[in-house]
Amino acid sequence: MKKSIFSYLINRILLYALIFLISLSAFFFFINLVPGDPVTRYIQMLEQRYGLSTPASEIVIQKYKEVFGLNKGLFERYTSYLSRLILHFDFGPSFVAFPKPAIELILESLPWSVGLLGTSVIIAWVLGVILGTIVGWKRESKISSTFFTIGLVISQIPTYLLAIVLVMVFTFWLNLFPMGGAYSAMLQRSFSLRFILSLIKHAFLPSLSLVFVYVFGTMISQRALVINVLGEDYIKLAEAKGLKSSRLINRYILRNTLLPQATGLALSLGFIVNGFFLIEWIFNYPGIGRLFMMAIREMDYNVLMGITITTMFCVLTANLIIEFLYPLIDPRIRRG
Amino acid sequence: MKRILLIFKYSPKLTVGVLILLFLILLAVFEPTINYYRLGGRSSTEIGLFDTFLPPSREHPFGTEAYGRDVLSLLLTGLRYSLLIGFTAGGLATLIAVFLASIAGYKGGRIEAFITTIANAILIIPSWPILAIIVLFVTKVNLLLLSVILAFFSWAGASRQIKAQIASLKERPYIDLAKVTGFSDLEIMFKEILPNFLPYIFVGFSSAVTGTIMAETAIRLVGLGPGDIPSLGQFINWAIYSGTLAQGYYLIVISPIAFLILTFVSLNLINVGLDEVFNPRLKQVTGV
Repeated sequence: MKKSIFSYLINRILLYALIFLISLSAFFFFINLVPGDPVTRYIQMLEQRYGLSTPASEIVIQKYKEVFGLNKGLFERYTSYLSRLILHFDFGPSFVAFPKPAIELILESLPWSVGLLGTSVIIAWVLGVILGTIVGWKRESKISSTFFTIGLVISQIPTYLLAIVLVMVFTFWLNLFPMGGAYSAMLQRSFSLRFILSLIKHAFLPSLSLVFVYVFGTMISQRALVINVLGEDYIKLAEAKGLKSSRLINRYILRNTLLPQATGLALSLGFIVNGFFLIEWIFNYPGIGRLFMMAIREMDYNVLMGITITTMFCVLTANLIIEFLYPLIDPRIRRG
Repeated sequence: MKRILLIFKYSPKLTVGVLILLFLILLAVFEPTINYYRLGGRSSTEIGLFDTFLPPSREHPFGTEAYGRDVLSLLLTGLRYSLLIGFTAGGLATLIAVFLASIAGYKGGRIEAFITTIANAILIIPSWPILAIIVLFVTKVNLLLLSVILAFFSWAGASRQIKAQIASLKERPYIDLAKVTGFSDLEIMFKEILPNFLPYIFVGFSSAVTGTIMAETAIRLVGLGPGDIPSLGQFINWAIYSGTLAQGYYLIVISPIAFLILTFVSLNLINVGLDEVFNPRLKQVTGV
């Protein structure tokens, strides 16, 4: 029995490693096959932006290309990029903050994103599952179907559009919440109550824009799952036996819906992260999404590559963790 | 015809969704005529056509924006381009999805596993940074190229929708009946499966349209992509960067967002409605 879990886990890890490697390589080759190299493009951008007419000196360009490893062949570049990445977690230096390594910039902003996104997703998912179970359980009531219809509309709103509306209403119109950032610029980072309150106040709207949409999204899928389970014969038997509703919900319904629901979360995580990049940009939240937008504006090639790969890695790891929870939820997987 | 009417009677959600979408499509199709009539032949994106930030009036029902353009005509132009890109990219994505889903279904085995893995990988991986970098690095992105790029990232979702439906369709008894009766594979494909399959292709199509419009809006919102395609996302970008919010002209920001949400909601209502009509068992169970 133990062996089958073990082989399940190894299997999953290998699959995710393969997905990671393939998408990374596809992305690398695509970016490198687009005509024009990052250094030339960066210099062109600088020339255009600051109206410089003197072309950058050839020596400087050559030097830059050498530092960024662009003077080598495509395949050589690929292998050295990969080995540097896997052995040293190194994405190369940032253009804008040269010679600061890109990974340092990324690691500075990653905790903000993971913290805010992780909390919001967990809140949204748990609330959505609870709400969906109630709405599915009481599917005949009027309130339940109203909730369902409202949910159908709200779950279709992209989080970033809701974020703009929230900024408009709560920041510009009502002036209740701060403009952006992660905490008030007047405060020092500390464990004081004031600082923590400021953190929460700044995180509230970005988090709300995600939670609000995903609660209803999860609610709708949970409702469908619950209703499906309710049609099963074993539920009828359990009801006929006179089982208490609380036990029926906990033991029979929740247990049977959690696995597909967790799969749903795993599959939509990438999509949620996509929206979160924009939410951070809208709220000027100092996470990885804002760093990405700044790097886009400056055409900071190594930072852009680094962020894309880091996000890919984080999302795949989160997926792997969710899949590792499957055997806990579903005994059938444990038995193989 | 009578059958179609019956379908609409059966599902109010489908009816509402189709009506909203038809209304939006009509607006988009007649945008050149409406704007020609309203602006006297001038382009809706021409800067300084009117005074800036005029309040809503008979002449300008939504007022004018920071660059002196009529908000209503910009909205219609934006809607036209957003829908155009959505339908082109969504259509391409659906073609890819149907093609790959059929191969997966027909060949089965390893090829099916391979296609599923690729589709899942595209679904799992956060595509926004990749998409943004591609649009940033590929110079001269036009409408068609943008649609192709968007389609590449959204066929996986459509294929998941379609495949889930095929799986349930395969198990239906009338397929077995047709096989026993001696129908050929092609006959079964075209006479039995395809007619029953069309609604599901449409479900895949409309979710691909939603996905591509969302992605396009996200890209244009941050100011990436072709500046000469004034879609709704581009419009929101203009509005945000011209300080419209700080000056309190909320209607200008809210109206393109409302148009987008209306599009997404109508497409989703159609999906839910089609599911109700073509999966009657679901309706019996759910009772909505």
